[in-house]
Order: sequence, then structure tokens, then C-alpha cells
Amino acid sequence: MRSAANRLTGPAFSTLAALVGVLLLSPVLVRAQGLAEAGTAPTGVVVVPDPDDDTGAKALLSWQAPRIARFRDLDLVAYRIYQSANDGPYVGLLERVVAEPAPPGAEPQSVSAAVSGLWSWRKYRFKVAALYAPKDRVWYMQGEPEPKVPEGEGAPKGPPVWAREVLSEPSIAGWELRFRLGPMTVPTVTRYTALLRMPARWYSSERTNVLLACLLYAMIVIWYISHARRGRDIYIRPIAGIEALDDAIGRATEMGKPILYVAGLSGLGDISTITAMTILGRVARRTAEYETPLLVPSFDPLVMLTAREIVREAYLDAGKPDAYREQDIFFVTDRQFAYVAAVDGIMIRERPAANLYMGYFFAEALILAETGAATGAIQIAGTDADTQIPFFVTACDYCLMGEELYAASAYLSREPMLLAQLKAQDLGKLLVAALMGVGAVAATAVSLFMFGPSWLQGAASVIERLINCLSPAG
Amino acid sequence: MKVRIPLAITFITAAVLIAIFFTPHHLGEQIQARISDWLRVVGGLGLVLGIYSLLQTHLRKVARRSRDWGFSLVAVVSFAIMAVLGIGWGIGQGTSFNWVFNNVYAPLDATMFSLLAFFVASAAYRTFRARTVEAALLLTAAIVVMFGRVPLGEMIFPKAPDVAEWIMAYPTTAAKRAILLGVTLGSVAMSLRIMLGIERSHLGGE
Repeated sequence: MRSAANRLTGPAFSTLAALVGVLLLSPVLVRAQGLAEAGTAPTGVVVVPDPDDDTGAKALLSWQAPRIARFRDLDLVAYRIYQSANDGPYVGLLERVVAEPAPPGAEPQSVSAAVSGLWSWRKYRFKVAALYAPKDRVWYMQGEPEPKVPEGEGAPKGPPVWAREVLSEPSIAGWELRFRLGPMTVPTVTRYTALLRMPARWYSSERTNVLLACLLYAMIVIWYISHARRGRDIYIRPIAGIEALDDAIGRATEMGKPILYVAGLSGLGDISTITAMTILGRVARRTAEYETPLLVPSFDPLVMLTAREIVREAYLDAGKPDAYREQDIFFVTDRQFAYVAAVDGIMIRERPAANLYMGYFFAEALILAETGAATGAIQIAGTDADTQIPFFVTACDYCLMGEELYAASAYLSREPMLLAQLKAQDLGKLLVAALMGVGAVAATAVSLFMFGPSWLQGAASVIERLINCLSPAG
Repeated sequence: MKVRIPLAITFITAAVLIAIFFTPHHLGEQIQARISDWLRVVGGLGLVLGIYSLLQTHLRKVARRSRDWGFSLVAVVSFAIMAVLGIGWGIGQGTSFNWVFNNVYAPLDATMFSLLAFFVASAAYRTFRARTVEAALLLTAAIVVMFGRVPLGEMIFPKAPDVAEWIMAYPTTAAKRAILLGVTLGSVAMSLRIMLGIERSHLGGE
């Protein structure tokens, strides 16, 4: 009896609940159904990979605006893009695309937007939702935090409302196949699929000229290194500044005064700072042998740590570990003129016999050099900062300009592999200079031929294309 | 092992960064951004060690009453004041930290910078002597450029600014570019040496 009653009440109860639910929700359902049926959804959603994007992460979405821009008291205010990756759920993006008001009676407009943050080889689908909201109220999308209602005259009245969303059908994807070689472009082929699969752009063809130049230079370097390994002598011209390092260290030892080593105002990421550390190692080995104090005030904490390690190893190699004083290599400050003031104070108080400035310097170069000159120290500078070279040349006894600083480590060690790289560098410079000469002649020819007969103009355009191929891309 | 691991890290990181230069894929951008974040973290940790070194140096001098220990005391007290002000009340606009920075540090900074004017004059006075042909050329060019840059020069010789501009635009720029060319190739070669482990003095030892 009871089980029969249960059998009867179970289905009846669910049917009754469903009827009540339908009656309660029917206004909403009818409203939603009505909104969708009234031509308020965007149509014709198409997505293609962005042709101007090399990173392979952007796509362009386009769709037709809904035919109905105003429905009851709701206006079309914006669009929202929904994205589905690898057949997952559609997720609404938080960027809104503002809807431009169309003239009354005009055909539905075409709207487009860009989507970024996409990944290669993932499959994407998009939907576009038209957002309808009262224009005299502050509105926001689902998932956004509720905005504050501005106050004052003319401000919207009432609390913020959710915008009503009407979703489109899923997008179709356009796939473009394009092959580009320098200035020439093969016409594109477009086909449409249901899903967008982002292409992977792993190589930037515009930088092929840079790659070829790097490979050529690397081959020259390797050839010279193998040439050096065969035991052949490599001549390097004397560099006065590097030759004077020994004299400076000897002078400091005789006078019983310390050597001041300033490794520039740049960090370890700068090649000139690494070169300065290399030279510091050589200088430290000599000062260890003579037990001459070596002061290294540092601008960067990491440079200080590296300098300590290098000097400590140099003292160990020289067999004088007890002579190493960690407190002589210290961090001062990372503010430019505060550092300069501190180093100037060290120069005036400690009166070093030799000041070595190796690395990258800014406006403080002359202040350092002039203060050092006033104390009577011998000064050797080496920098690749072209704006400060004139000041060092003026105020210092010796100056290593630009690449002479990089050559210092090879010059001091006389290792065949390092010397070979110097020769490769010189050959590279020669090639670049030759290319510059040829390029200047070619550019002049283009500007002259452009106003000549047609065959000369043709030649000019060919030369111009060649120059464009060789010019570095962004 | 002490040298091999840093060399391996150097080579791998350099190879990845070079590959990223030729790769437009946004994965490369993300890797580069992540490496930059790591550099900032390492730099921040390095700053902690730097501050430790700074305080250790100056506190030792104060404790031992070494020569000129007063300057070290000023450095330590200044550090403490700024640290307390910054941590306690923030470093934004209107805070005491900001006031001290703008009214104490900034004028001192500007004072040091202004020394450049006097040092340029003294360096020029000492250096511009016509002892050799090159020095005479340098002196002549410097005089012409200085003449062309001041209103008095234009009053005396109306073409002086044009001549000065020509000297700066052509011979000077050519020399600067020549130096830059050498610097660029030199830095590429140096980078190659460091990347391949040929140059390892910066790691300590040969």
C-alpha cells in the first residue's frame, strides 16, 4: 500500500514541481527566448590569425552587429567575447568592445576586435555576446566587480545593473597560408574551418640577414682559433694603456700606497663590467705578488661579490691567501653621484698611487678623473662609453678606448685562443667597413639612377631591393 | 664543478636568449620576461648583501675609532634614519622620507653634478696645448665649436654656428661611429668568449 502510494506521489510531485518552475520562470524564458529570436544576437562570427602579429598569439574576430539595437528599454551598449580552448567551456573575456551606434535604417555593421594570449596548436572557438543595458544606468558584465555609481548632477540614478547578454553561434575560423621572402610576398590562400588552430611562428624571416652575419662572424672566429691552435704566432699591436698597468702597480708598490680600482657604474649584465672583472683578476694577481693594497669600491652589490671572489682566487693563486683583505672590496651605494662623492673622498684620504677606471661610466667620469689627477696618481682608464672617452683621454695618463678594453684580457694573458679572437674581430671590422663602402656607393647609385632612363631605373629598383634585404629588420 | 656549473648555465641561457631573438613566438617573450624577473630577484638579494657589506665596513670603522670614523658614523646614522622613515611612514609623496630625499639628497646630488662645469674648464685648460699636430688640430676644432655655440661667436662671425654644427655632424659623428663599430664587434666577440667558456676569469681563477 505504502509502496504503491510512493510510486504514485514520486512522479506526480516531480511533474507538479516542473509545472510550477515553468510558470515561475516563464517570463525570464520568454524574455530570453524573445531576445534571441528578435535578431538581437551577433551573426557571422569569423576569426582569423592576425596577419601583422609575428608572435602567433593574436587573432582578429569579426562579426555582424545585431539587427535590433534597442529592445524595450534596453540599448545595445557593447559586445563581449567568449573563448573556448580545446573544446572546453566558453569563458567570457573581461575586455568589452564598445558598440558604435548605427544610423537608423542602416544595414547591420561589421564589427571587429582583437584577441590576444592565444597559444600555438590549441583549438579555439569564439562566441560574441551582444550586451544590452539601459543607457541611463551604470551597467557591468557578469564576472566584473560592481562599479561605483558616480555622484553629482547628471549622474545615473539607481544601482548598477547587469547587462543582458545574447550569445551568437560559434565562430568559424579562417586559415591563411602565406609565404614571405624579403620584400616579395606570395598571394594568400584562405580556407575556413570550424575551429581556429593558431599557427606557430618559430622563426622570424626578417632577421635572416642578422643570422647569416652572426654565423659568418662565428665561422671567422672559429677559423682563427683553429689557426692559433696550430701554434702560429699572432701579432697584436702594442696598447700603451695595458703596457702601463705593470708600471702603475710597480709605482704603487714603491710608494707604499694602495691601488684604487673602479669597475664602472654598470651591473654584471654589461660586457664592459665583465671585462673589468677580468682585468681586475690580472691586477689582483700582481698586487698579491707585491702585497700592494687593492681598494675596490663597488657600485653594484653583485659586482662587489664577483670582485671579492676574483681577488680572493687571485691571492690564492699567488700563494698569498693571508694578504687578502675582504674589507678592501666593499659596496658603497647604487646612486651615481653619491658613489662619486664616496670614491673622491677615498682618493683624497687614502691618496692611492694608481687609479684604474675600467668599465662603463656616465657623467661622473670627469669628476673621478680630475680628482684623481689632483691627488697626483697615475691614472689608466678603459671604457666603451663613447661619450666619456674624451674626458678620460683628457684627464688620464692612459686610456683604453672601446674595443681596446675588450682586448685587454687577451693582451695580458697572451693566450692563443683569445688573441685569435682579436684577429677575427679585426677581420669582421674590415668586412663591415667594406660593406659600408659598397652600401654607400649603391645608395648613391640608386639616387642618381632613379631619374635616368628606364633601364637605369630598373637597375636602381633592383639595388634598392637588395639594400632592403640586407638592412636589419626591427 | 665550481666553474663548470656556472659555465653550463651561461651557455644554456645565452643560447636560449639568442634563439629568442630570432623567434617571434610569444613563448620567447614570456621566457625573456621570466628571466628579467629572476634577474630582479637576484639583484634584490644582492642588495641585501651589499647593505650588509656597507654597514659592516662603517660599523667596524666606528667601533675601532679608525681614521675619519666620523664620516662612517654619519653614513650609519643617515642609513638608519632613512630606513626608519621609509619603513615606518612609507616613501610616497608627502612622507618624511620623501621630504628628506628632495631637500637633502637631491641638492647634494645636484652639487656633485655641478662640479662637472668646473672640472671641464680645468681639464680643458690643462689639456688643450698645441704640442703636436694632432693636439693643435684638436685645439682648433674645440675653439671653433665653442665659438659657434655661444651668441658672441655668431655676432663676430655669422657662419660660426654652421661651421660648429658641421664639425659635430660629420667628423665627430664619423669618429663616434667608428668607435661604436669597434665596440659592437668587440662586445659580440667578448660575449662569444664568455658564452663558449673560453673567457672564464670573471668566475674566479683561470
